[in-house]
Amino acid sequence: MTRLPLLSATEAPPTARSWYRADGSASALTRSLASAPDLLETLMPFLGQVMGESSVDLATKELVIVRVSQLNGCSYCIAAHGPLALEAGVSPGALRAVCDDAPLDELPERERALVTWVDGITLEPAAVDDEVLAQVLQWVREDQLIELTLLAGAIGMLNRYCTAFDIPPPR
Amino acid sequence: MRDEIRASVAEGRMGDRLWLYATYHCNLTCVYCLTESSPRIANRRTLDSDAMVRATAEAKELGFTCVGITGGETFMLPDFPETLRRVGEILPVVALTNATLFTDRLLARLEPLFELDVAFQISLDSDEPARNDELRGPENFAKVVDAIPRLLERGLRVRLATTVADQEPEELERVCVLHRRLGIPDEDHVVRSVVRRGRAATAQMGIELGPTDVLPELTLTADGAFLHPFAPTVRSGRTDIDLLVSRQIAPLEMPARRFLSVVRDQPLGDDVVRSIR
Repeated sequence: MTRLPLLSATEAPPTARSWYRADGSASALTRSLASAPDLLETLMPFLGQVMGESSVDLATKELVIVRVSQLNGCSYCIAAHGPLALEAGVSPGALRAVCDDAPLDELPERERALVTWVDGITLEPAAVDDEVLAQVLQWVREDQLIELTLLAGAIGMLNRYCTAFDIPPPR
Repeated sequence: MRDEIRASVAEGRMGDRLWLYATYHCNLTCVYCLTESSPRIANRRTLDSDAMVRATAEAKELGFTCVGITGGETFMLPDFPETLRRVGEILPVVALTNATLFTDRLLARLEPLFELDVAFQISLDSDEPARNDELRGPENFAKVVDAIPRLLERGLRVRLATTVADQEPEELERVCVLHRRLGIPDEDHVVRSVVRRGRAATAQMGIELGPTDVLPELTLTADGAFLHPFAPTVRSGRTDIDLLVSRQIAPLEMPARRFLSVVRDQPLGDDVVRSIR
């Protein structure tokens, strides 16, 4: 049982309603955030930028999202982004690996370097050493790593929010 | 953006009155209360005096021309007379009250308001004590008709508000006879319907509000800023936020900016009949 009201479009503040779909539906995450419409106004464009298509391809971003969510044990985000990861082109094998359903060493070298970086910054950022950084920078540019690191941080924030408030995962 | 807010107030897109919900606490439990206010309310959600004064000062800067302070019962706040003076020194103000707490001591504290543009809007729903008290609480009628002359004799302006539940026109006309006898002119008598929100919705009373029925007037509460004073209603202990424009109330420019984003594209209207002014 969620710990926050999940507002319908008619219950939501007027400024929050633009984040609902035309038929009035919205994700449980959006419906919960609608109680804080000022924040929503800033957060949603930010999430759209950091999670959406950019100079980093969507498959890479979804891989990062699912991995961070797996590390943080967020059932909402894994349920929401597992299908999106496959849709974006993440292979079923890579998805299993980042969800710890298969060994990580089955990942291609690029994805392994990314996952090593993501694991480090999510679990113990102070311990991430130069070697890990150098390895990942062999595969992505510095600006792309900035983006992916902020993405991992943003997902960590959402993982904590969804887990603490028990936001119901999509079916 | 400040100029746009000023222009919107000037053209009437944004009402020129800023409303402040001083508290949700009340000594009465009116059957149609929008905010489920009562003596036993769990969370009083009070705007403190400094917050109201600050909002008023900022409102003046943004082009608002007057302030309304409502609740709950405003005089449940121990420092309300002083707050009223501080607000009234900045902008004209109307304070909504049930007028049941006006002891001699409290009235003496109101005397400094004589020199300011401060009015008291008092609720009275019938000329028949039993009818009125059925809606508003025991002895309410007697206390109101006692308080009004005492306020007027101190040179304080009094307005009367009648909330219509099922009163017939004849009964409302008798209320007019009464207010004239008490010394309140017709232009200071407000008649408005019960709105089907809050406790009135639970009791299936009143009228549903359409999106253009009420003049949009920026309304600040401890829960945030709302589209008009009928908006921050409470049902089953939870504040309705379907007409919330911002959780942020200070500085005032922030909720005013978000308010504007909601009303910017609405047609200008003049139907303010249902406003609680």
